[in-house]
This record gives sequence, C-alpha cells and structure tokens, in this order.
Amino acid sequence: MASSKLYSDEVSLAVVVVDTNPLFWATAALPFADFFAHLIHYVNSLLLLNHLNHVVVIAAGLSSCTYIFDSSDASASGAADVAATFAKASRKMDEFIAEDSRATSSNGSVADGNAASLLSGALSLALCYIQRVFRSGIRHPQPRILCLQGSPDGPEQYVAVMNSIFSAQRSMVPIDSCIVGTQDSAFLQQASYITGGVYLKPQELNGLFQYLAAVFATDLHSRTFLRLPKTLGVDFRASCFCHKKTIDMGYVCSVCLSIFCKYHKKCSTCGSEFNRVMPDLNSVPDQRQ
Amino acid sequence: MPQVMVVARNFMDMVAALPAAKLDMLYDSAFICEAVLRSLPPLAKKYALQMLYVSAPVAAAAMEEWVLDEYAAKHRVAIDRLLQLRVFVEVRDRRKEVSYKMNQKFQGNMQKYLVDGGSLPREPIPSSVTARLPTLAELESFALEQWECFLLQLINSSQVERGTSFSSSMMRTFQRGLLSSRDGEAPRLTENGFQFLLMETNAQLWYIMREYISSAEERGVDPTELISFLLELSFHTLGEAYSLNTLTDVQRNAIRDLAELGLVKLQQGRKDSWFIPTKLATNLSASLSDSSSNKEGFVVVETNFRMYAYSTSRLHCEILRLFSRVEYQLPNLIVGSITKESLYGAFENGITAEQIISFLQQNAHPRVADKIPAVPENVTDQIRLWETDRNRVDMILSHLYEDFPSKDMFDQCCDYARDHGCLLWEDAKKMRLIVRVEFHSEMREFLRRLR
Repeated sequence: MASSKLYSDEVSLAVVVVDTNPLFWATAALPFADFFAHLIHYVNSLLLLNHLNHVVVIAAGLSSCTYIFDSSDASASGAADVAATFAKASRKMDEFIAEDSRATSSNGSVADGNAASLLSGALSLALCYIQRVFRSGIRHPQPRILCLQGSPDGPEQYVAVMNSIFSAQRSMVPIDSCIVGTQDSAFLQQASYITGGVYLKPQELNGLFQYLAAVFATDLHSRTFLRLPKTLGVDFRASCFCHKKTIDMGYVCSVCLSIFCKYHKKCSTCGSEFNRVMPDLNSVPDQRQ
Repeated sequence: MPQVMVVARNFMDMVAALPAAKLDMLYDSAFICEAVLRSLPPLAKKYALQMLYVSAPVAAAAMEEWVLDEYAAKHRVAIDRLLQLRVFVEVRDRRKEVSYKMNQKFQGNMQKYLVDGGSLPREPIPSSVTARLPTLAELESFALEQWECFLLQLINSSQVERGTSFSSSMMRTFQRGLLSSRDGEAPRLTENGFQFLLMETNAQLWYIMREYISSAEERGVDPTELISFLLELSFHTLGEAYSLNTLTDVQRNAIRDLAELGLVKLQQGRKDSWFIPTKLATNLSASLSDSSSNKEGFVVVETNFRMYAYSTSRLHCEILRLFSRVEYQLPNLIVGSITKESLYGAFENGITAEQIISFLQQNAHPRVADKIPAVPENVTDQIRLWETDRNRVDMILSHLYEDFPSKDMFDQCCDYARDHGCLLWEDAKKMRLIVRVEFHSEMREFLRRLR
C-alpha cells in the first residue's frame, strides 16, 4: 500500500463485528439492550473523534451475518439525523436477529447444543469491506477490526477463521477482540496475537463503554505510544480437519500441514498417501502441538 | 501539508488565548466542543474520550502511566494542549499533588453528543418557503467563483474585476498582511501574500478567517462571538437554507462578509431572506484536524521543465505565472516552462523552493499523481539548486591585516589566528590576512606583545 494513499494515520476505518448469538445473550450477565447501548456510544465516539472516521457494524448470528450500520451512508444525509440513523440500525439489528433465528431453525444445525456464532463469515465480510475501501477512491483510512464476542468458539469454523486471520495479517489489518462472555476465545486470542491487535476480557461488563473508549477507540497511530493491555497467554490449539475437534496433539500432513486427530492412510485435503507405517501417537510425540 | 496544520493550529491557539471565562462560555455550545475536540492531537483526543465519564479528578502521575516511558514527551504535549484549551482543568489537593479533571460543560456536552448524536445548530427553512434552492453543483461553482474572484483581486488589485461586489472596507480587512499599499502606488502583494497564493484552499480560508477575527475588535465586535459563530456555521448542512432572522446582529453582519468570500450564499425570498452554506463553510471545522483536499490536480511537469496545466481558470494562470514563464494558452490548457529567470522572480517575491515544489506536487494531474515522484526529480532538484544559488555568498564581518614588518611575524599571527579558528583567509606572498571581527581585539593584543 503506498503510504500516500492513506490519510494521516489517525483516521480510522473501524469494522465492528457484533456477536448476536441468541443462545449466549439469553444467559449473559449483561442484557443485550444495554450492550447495544454501549456499542452505539462507542460508534458515536469514534465518529466524534474525527469527521473522516468510518465505522461499519456487522452482526454475526448463528447461521448468517450481515451489515447493520455503515457511517458512510449516514453522513451523506447530514449529521442531523444521527438519532434516526441509529434507530434504523437497531431496527435492522432486530430484523436480522429474527431472520437469523428463522434460518437457524429451518436448517436445524444448532441441535448439537454447542452453538457458536458465525465468526468466520463475519470476519470475511469485514475483510471484503476493507478490500473494497482499499480499491476504491484515492485515499483511504487505516482499517482495523473489532470483534465483540460472547459465545464460545466453533471448532468447525477453524479453517475458515484461520484463513481470515492470515488474510487480515497479509493486508495489515489488526483484529482487536473484546470478550463479553465468560470464557476466553482461542480463535480471537490467536487472531489478535497474529495481527497485532489487542485482546481484552473486561472484568466489569457494566462499564463496557469505558473499556471500549479507553482501549479500542485508540487509533493505530497512538497505539505505538500507549500502554495497552497485553495478552497473558494465547491458546494456540488447533482443530483437527477430520472431526473439527480442538486437540492438543495430533497428526500433521507432511505435504499440506493439514491436522488430523487420528491416523489416516491418505490426506483428505491434498491426497498425499502416507505409506510409511506411523508409530503410535502416545509413544513418539513428534507431532505438532 | 505542513502549512495547513500550522494555520489550523494557529486558529485554535487563538481560541486557547481567550480568557478563561470566555472560553468556558464558548463551551456552552456543543458545536464548539466538538470542533475543539476534533482539532486536538490524536493522543489528546484519546485522553478526552477516556475521561469523558470520569467525574473525579485523576492524578497526573496516574495519567503518565498510560503512555510508554519513551513517549513521555508526547504525553506532555497532549496534556498541555488539553489544559490550554481548558478541556482539562488542573486541580491541586492539600498535598499539592496535581490532578486533572475534565471541564464540566465540555464533559456534559460531549456526553450528550454520544447519547443523542449530533444535532443541528438551527432548523433549516422548509422547502415550501424557499421557492428553489440552488443545486449542490451550482452552489459549489458559486463558492469557487467567489473565492477565485477574491484571489484574483489579490493578484491584480489594480485592475478591478467587473461584477464583483467586494466592499472596499471588507477587502481591506481580508487583505491585511497580504497587500502592502504605499501612498500613491498601486497596492502590491507582500511576501506573505505570495506564499498565501500557493497555499491550499482550506489553509487560505483559515488564514483569512484569522485575520478577520483578529481585526474584529477594531470594528467593535467581540472576537469570541465571531469564533463561536464560525465554528457553528461549519456544522450546518450543506445546501440547506437557514433563515437570517435566527441570527444576532453581529452574526448577520458577519454573514454578509462571508457571503462575499463564497462561504454562504444569500438569497432573498418574498418575505424573509436566508443563507445557504457552501462547501467552503462546511469544511471549516473539518479542515482543522485534517486537510484532505480531494480536489483533482491539473499540472503536469515534464523532465524538460515544461509545464502543462489543464485549466480554464484565470486564477491558475496567474498563480503559475508567479514562478514560471507562461508561453501560450489554449482554451483548456496553459503551457509554460520553469526557467531560472522565472524562478528568480519568485524567489525575489519571497516564495521558497519548497512552496513551489509542494504546490506542483499537490496539484499534480491525476495521470501523473500516481507516479512517484509526481514531479520529476531533476526538476525539483534544480529548483532547489537555483534557490541555493542565491545563497552562495555568505557575509562575515572581519578585519584585514597587512603591512607586516617581517615574514616571521606574519606566520606567527597566522598560526595564532588559525589555532583559534578565526582565520578566514591568508595571502603569504603579499603578507595579508583576514580574521573574524570578534577576534580583532585579541589579535591586536597579540601583535602588541610581539612588538
């Protein structure tokens, strides 16, 4: 990216991925309505900081995801009807949640209980949006992604999520993550670690806005000066390609690096045949962790 | 675009220089709070946001913890700025420890902004009253025309344009510092004036606004009111009509002046009259923090020092004439060449090489703007070289010594002066030497001792 194409580095394009998983929000400590109010506060404050700042909100549901809010649409009609715009955004959010639950019940994929939001889809949407901004117009702001996730990871999305993370890394888009649920997310820990974003699990969810304002509203330029929260540990565990389970130890294809939890005669990804007899997994731990 | 930043900052310096009571009064308006916040350096913005919901004072030492140790200087700059603009207020407790608190009015206004979003300074007139409003394109061309007209008048103020309605008193305010007029002579552009012409539109606008505000007191107008009105004006919606009746007298007078510059367009209806902000006005506060003109450039410079400007504007032609020789003009094209003579003319007028180069770069035609560099390197280098040519001669005050009685004494003097680093020139054959003026007394002392 030619630096001349960037605005001065404090102008940011923030894509916020919001977890709307109904199964999570039904049991969450913070009601969704309050959470949404914090979110709107945060979006507003980003827009307040710089008139060139650009904010996009993407909702990630159980089986679909969509754009909820785009500040470039809003500002075209003038700053006057910000309230109206946000009313529209929240209406769109409600519609999306209804639509999503319909889609979920029709394909019945949530039967297995461990229901994860479609993080991979939302990340891809965000990256597509950023690529579109990159390619259009003369100058573009500094992009970053913020994931607000509550529901647990879906190991079945492992490959898709990792691919999104690597493509974010390639296009130098940091992925920030803010966990609003109870458990840490290995996906997002890795995402923030790899892309150089901030991973944070707030202790006090009632003060969510303060966390968002103090940490995640910081533009990339100022981040170099500031003491931001550091990740204590990153869960680097991978999911196997055959059963989509998170594993500590497993078999890795020597050709394409696909991960399996059991020994296979042939790699299901690249088709390489493993003709040498593999020793037992427990006796020789030379496999990747 | 460093110049722009300087000008914009200066404007906020003017705001910061207001007495505390007046500044607090300004913060009654949410728009001013917003404009001030946006003008802050990035780190200061972040601090302001972080403190937005903190009502108790935060110790200065605790704030220092926010930044990494090696960037403490940046932290101080940010905090100083916040204190200057009274966004943060210093509080000292009994143990004399400093802590900062956010200005309450500012805090309240910004909190409201976050909850409700921005609102309009005043309601636009419904379209049923205004018969037909100009389209955005018409409005923009109006603004550009007025602005160019103003600049053209700066360039040749002797030949007054037909059809312009600049009142001479107003013109004088706006031209303060840019034109110098001696009695009986046509006014001439000053050094500042020439540099002004090469600035970007937003920078020019802020320069003029600063002059306008700083001359307000002479006209018996409170500068605070003007500042607040100007900042407020930039939050009006582009192309909507606003009634003049909602303005105070001061504001109504100001809006007439601004209309002459093309910031607003005045229209007269059957019963009341209204003003329509143009792009120049709505960009005012935006350009405080970032000056991103998305204007298309028009200049192509070739390695053979020829310059092609795709423009029909007389203003562009006049500006190019400041530093190049315009050779011929076609309906949509101005062809000129950058020559040593033309540049010397520009340097005489106080324009610097950097200004010329940045003008050429900023206004590069889209076809060449993608290339790096947009202006050929040999041209930029040559422009800089020609500038340094003028600085070839250095003046140093010095003393000449001659008629030494002996070669030996001459050599001793030379060595003495050389040891002190003050020998500028020596001629051993004719036994003459030159030393710096500050060394003269010591040299005399030395000669006396030798004798």
